[in-house]
Amino acid sequence: MKHVIIIVKYYLLQAGTEELIQEVPGLMHLKSYTGEEPRLTDIVLKHKPDVLIIHPDSLSAENASLPHKIYAHQNTNLIAIVRKNEKDRVSSDFSTVLFMEENKSVLEKKLREIMTSAGPNENNHKELSKREIVILKNIALGLTHQEIADKLFISIHTVNTHRKNINKKLGIKTVPGLIVYALLNHLIQMDEIKDKD
Amino acid sequence: MLIQKNMKLAEVIHHDHTLVPIINRFGIHLGFGNDNIAEICRKHKINIDFFVTILNAFHDAHYFPQKQLRNFPAALLIDYLQKAHHYFLDDKIPEIAGLINKMATEYALDKTTIGLLSNFFTGYSKELKKHIQYEEETIYPYVLALEKAQAERNPDKNPFVRVNNFSISDYETQHENVEEKLFDLKNIIIKYLPEPKDDKPGYRLLRELFTLDKELNEHARIEDLILVPKVKAMEKALKNKKE
Repeated sequence: MKHVIIIVKYYLLQAGTEELIQEVPGLMHLKSYTGEEPRLTDIVLKHKPDVLIIHPDSLSAENASLPHKIYAHQNTNLIAIVRKNEKDRVSSDFSTVLFMEENKSVLEKKLREIMTSAGPNENNHKELSKREIVILKNIALGLTHQEIADKLFISIHTVNTHRKNINKKLGIKTVPGLIVYALLNHLIQMDEIKDKD
Repeated sequence: MLIQKNMKLAEVIHHDHTLVPIINRFGIHLGFGNDNIAEICRKHKINIDFFVTILNAFHDAHYFPQKQLRNFPAALLIDYLQKAHHYFLDDKIPEIAGLINKMATEYALDKTTIGLLSNFFTGYSKELKKHIQYEEETIYPYVLALEKAQAERNPDKNPFVRVNNFSISDYETQHENVEEKLFDLKNIIIKYLPEPKDDKPGYRLLRELFTLDKELNEHARIEDLILVPKVKAMEKALKNKKE
């Protein structure tokens, strides 16, 4: 399942884009913004969308650099919506361009292609790797990322990457959630947990 | 559908029954008869524009209140938000905690698993409570002070100082953490619980969690759509007044 965020100022265009997303299996609409929200880049970064559909003219001056920042930070598929005659103005940060003049089936096809061009994080359905299980156990036991890095002789950066993959594979983000998962799957025992309350 | 004051409230509820807890917060209870919204509001001494705005904001995720519809006193809005908080903390949370405990017998979950779920949910409730407390103890008094300062000709300096040190924008992106925990809980139930003896209790719990999630999102939308813009306008007006 890929999460989609839409940034379009005009209501009709926004609603139409949402409707289109509903038609493509595997895409799920997460949120829509108008492009004028303050600090929108931070908000979008936090949501970590897989796909970001932007009508570039909707972005306020403050948010104009949003596409580039998202492109630089995250593994997000950037899609622009423009008119055909604006094609040359679309920045290279966007990997796909949808034209307003195009009919539904063409638009749908373009979005479907994104679904099939599997990105590197398309391992959602796989089980945790052995290494990830070790990391998960330690997180559930109450160790910080730094402590885990020291214990396993790896960099904190590597621990962070493992953690992100664990969150993604399990669909669980918070530490208490990971503890419950680890206990349910007998990766750790109840009496091993540090009592934090 | 845009809800308007000349519509019969009963028809509105037929169209969207999830509005029942909302009208309850205004003191309107089931069995309210055949009157339209304006008539019912008059009977209960409710500000009609405010009532209609709240109903629409809940009913339609795309609804955006027009400026004149934000012209009710902040105290009214805060009173409403506090009632909503009571609903979450005093009704919904205990209700769901009860469902989790019931699962022990009906779902045939062992003690440890139930303990895990109920601890997790307690942790979640604490966080929700903390967030609500922050709103009620920090944000709302600030908003009321702003409104008071705006009404006075020679407002005392206090809110000015606070406008300079603190702004409502600081508060806008605060709901995230609480949302993540609820999401995790839903996923644990959907994906990772042992197979049940009976399907019904799991579904009942899940349905309540999805409803809670939806209601909290709508609540946050009211804060973002109505409270925050209103306060921003007051902050701006007060800053101008000072200069």
